[in-house]
Amino acid sequence: MSDLESSIRETAKNLLTEGKVDLILGYEKGALPLRAAPCFITDPTDVDRLVFDYSCDLNLAKFLREHPEKKLGIISKGCVGRGVIHLVVENQLNKENITIIGIPCQGVINRSRVIRKIGEREILEVKVENDKLLVKGKDFEESLPLDDYINNLCKTCHYKSPPVADITVGEATASSLQDNFEDITSFESKTPGEKMEYFKDELNRCIRCYACREACPVCYCSLCFIDQNKPVWFGKTADITDNFIFHMIRALHVAGRCVSCGACSSVCPMGIDLNLLNRKVEQIVKERYNFESGISLETPPPMGAHKFEDGQEFMIEED
Amino acid sequence: MMQKMISKDKISKFISVLQKEYKIFGPVREKGDIVFKEVQSADEMDLDYLNSKIPPKSVLFPMVDTLFSYKKDGEKVEIIENKPYNKVVIFGIRPCDAQSFYLLHNFFNFGKFKDPNFLDRLLNTVLIGIGCLNPRNTCFCTSVNGGPFNSEHVDILLTKFKENYFIASSTDDGDVILKKMDFLSDAKDSDVKEIEEMQKKVESSIKIIEDLEDLHKILDNMYEDPLWEECALGCLGCGTCSYLCPTCHCFDVVDENKPDGSGRRVRIWDTCQFPLFTLETSGHNPRTNKIQRARQRIYHKFNYYPKNYNLIGCVGCGRCILYCPVSNDVRETFSKIKKAPSKTEG
Repeated sequence: MSDLESSIRETAKNLLTEGKVDLILGYEKGALPLRAAPCFITDPTDVDRLVFDYSCDLNLAKFLREHPEKKLGIISKGCVGRGVIHLVVENQLNKENITIIGIPCQGVINRSRVIRKIGEREILEVKVENDKLLVKGKDFEESLPLDDYINNLCKTCHYKSPPVADITVGEATASSLQDNFEDITSFESKTPGEKMEYFKDELNRCIRCYACREACPVCYCSLCFIDQNKPVWFGKTADITDNFIFHMIRALHVAGRCVSCGACSSVCPMGIDLNLLNRKVEQIVKERYNFESGISLETPPPMGAHKFEDGQEFMIEED
Repeated sequence: MMQKMISKDKISKFISVLQKEYKIFGPVREKGDIVFKEVQSADEMDLDYLNSKIPPKSVLFPMVDTLFSYKKDGEKVEIIENKPYNKVVIFGIRPCDAQSFYLLHNFFNFGKFKDPNFLDRLLNTVLIGIGCLNPRNTCFCTSVNGGPFNSEHVDILLTKFKENYFIASSTDDGDVILKKMDFLSDAKDSDVKEIEEMQKKVESSIKIIEDLEDLHKILDNMYEDPLWEECALGCLGCGTCSYLCPTCHCFDVVDENKPDGSGRRVRIWDTCQFPLFTLETSGHNPRTNKIQRARQRIYHKFNYYPKNYNLIGCVGCGRCILYCPVSNDVRETFSKIKKAPSKTEG
């Protein structure tokens, strides 16, 4: 157990014992290595289930709307906190009922990348030791450079701790990182054919399980556009054209709302990387509206607010 | 039923003989995952795999399956039926997945509603399995009437042994195929004995989950148990567990109409985990929340299936445990069911 974990447990225990919250939402160990599961705690004697490590890749903010009647405490790494704040800004949550327990995050491990590297061998144990990722199985042991297996999004993340928190556990880390969207610039230097090839390669594998949508803290529509069937709006097959439409439109629907947690890609059973799409949209929103989602309780999201100075160069003016 | 040996380097010959008559689907590694795909030669296959991510049910029950297409020319409508199915060999299927075909067959062949697409494909499919030398920790086939070398649902089963495969047929179709292969050698009695011992050892390494065949009786009395709420708490409500499940078979039928008057009717995978799955035309939805939906999946496999077909609707492949985005473990659900206080009521 790390120092951070024991502080998390202590804080959760106090909040529950003092009756400040009814429910603590955190992470617990999953059934397999590199897996964390969401954990719902109401009994202070259960807090020892809480963990926090490199496997905690879900965005817990996703679950908050399911418990509107409760006072909740949520263990929040940076992007979880951003998710909560953004949902409050969009009037989906009552902030008075929610205690954001801010914790610093070191990034999460990209599970698909590890599995791809290990291949068809069963992973039985994974440990982080300094800058190494130790992966063990029945007849093998591999030591991988940890940094190569950290999610790309975590590398460009500059909100390791939540920008707004009610309680801070551990040392809040402010990042001095300058995000210049280099990943996007380098992708955009490819030819249209190469870009198409990349997305085809990724989206071809989509099985339309909608884990990406269901794991997304800001995908909360009661009826998703893709489920509109009276009449049908878009195709629901797993053919490449239908997959393109679904993922492109979903990326646009979360414009100015995506909190860059990467949960959509982390949960994808097929290991599809959707981050480039979301990052591009993030870049446009930042450049056009100087807005980042989930960092302030005051600023309304650009797609939900109108300003006269909003650019409208795409409008055709009549003489 | 025949028992022979085939050396590893003769597998490509084996495949090319089969190819004269059959399309071959085999385990291929793509982007790090194993998928069952049509192959032109044995070189494309990776035979040292654990199991595929998408189960080979996708060969008989594809994710996207055109039922028919049509063209319109003025007043004239032309319906284009599917071509008859080719004869197919699924090479390298695991015994658990082969068992799933048997379960799926019960569903698609139930009562007076026969599914021509699935059944025609099944009729034209020969299953050549490879026994599991390295079952995963998440495997529990031996608790659901299966086993890593179960030959009951394949035509031929291969077991890797030193530089060879032990190859045994268990059906007439399998015999016919093996008889065509004049390059197989006889299996020595001592080898067969050694192989059987090895198989037993691997089989006994798989952890047994007790009393799964009685689970349906317990479930009879716990439909309203608070346990289902607990099971559904962290569930995202995505389709991963059912889409990657070899025995899940639910589908949706959609029509695609193009502006030029052509189109198709297509069958796509669907799942009880989606709210839309049970939404009726009237607007009524009998399963509005994820508690009901999570419960449905367990009841279908472990209560309705045993009642309808006298079979457990699960083959113990462990894919739902391996790929669940929130690490839900069906084995934990089993133990919760067995411990639930309401199980003795009623």
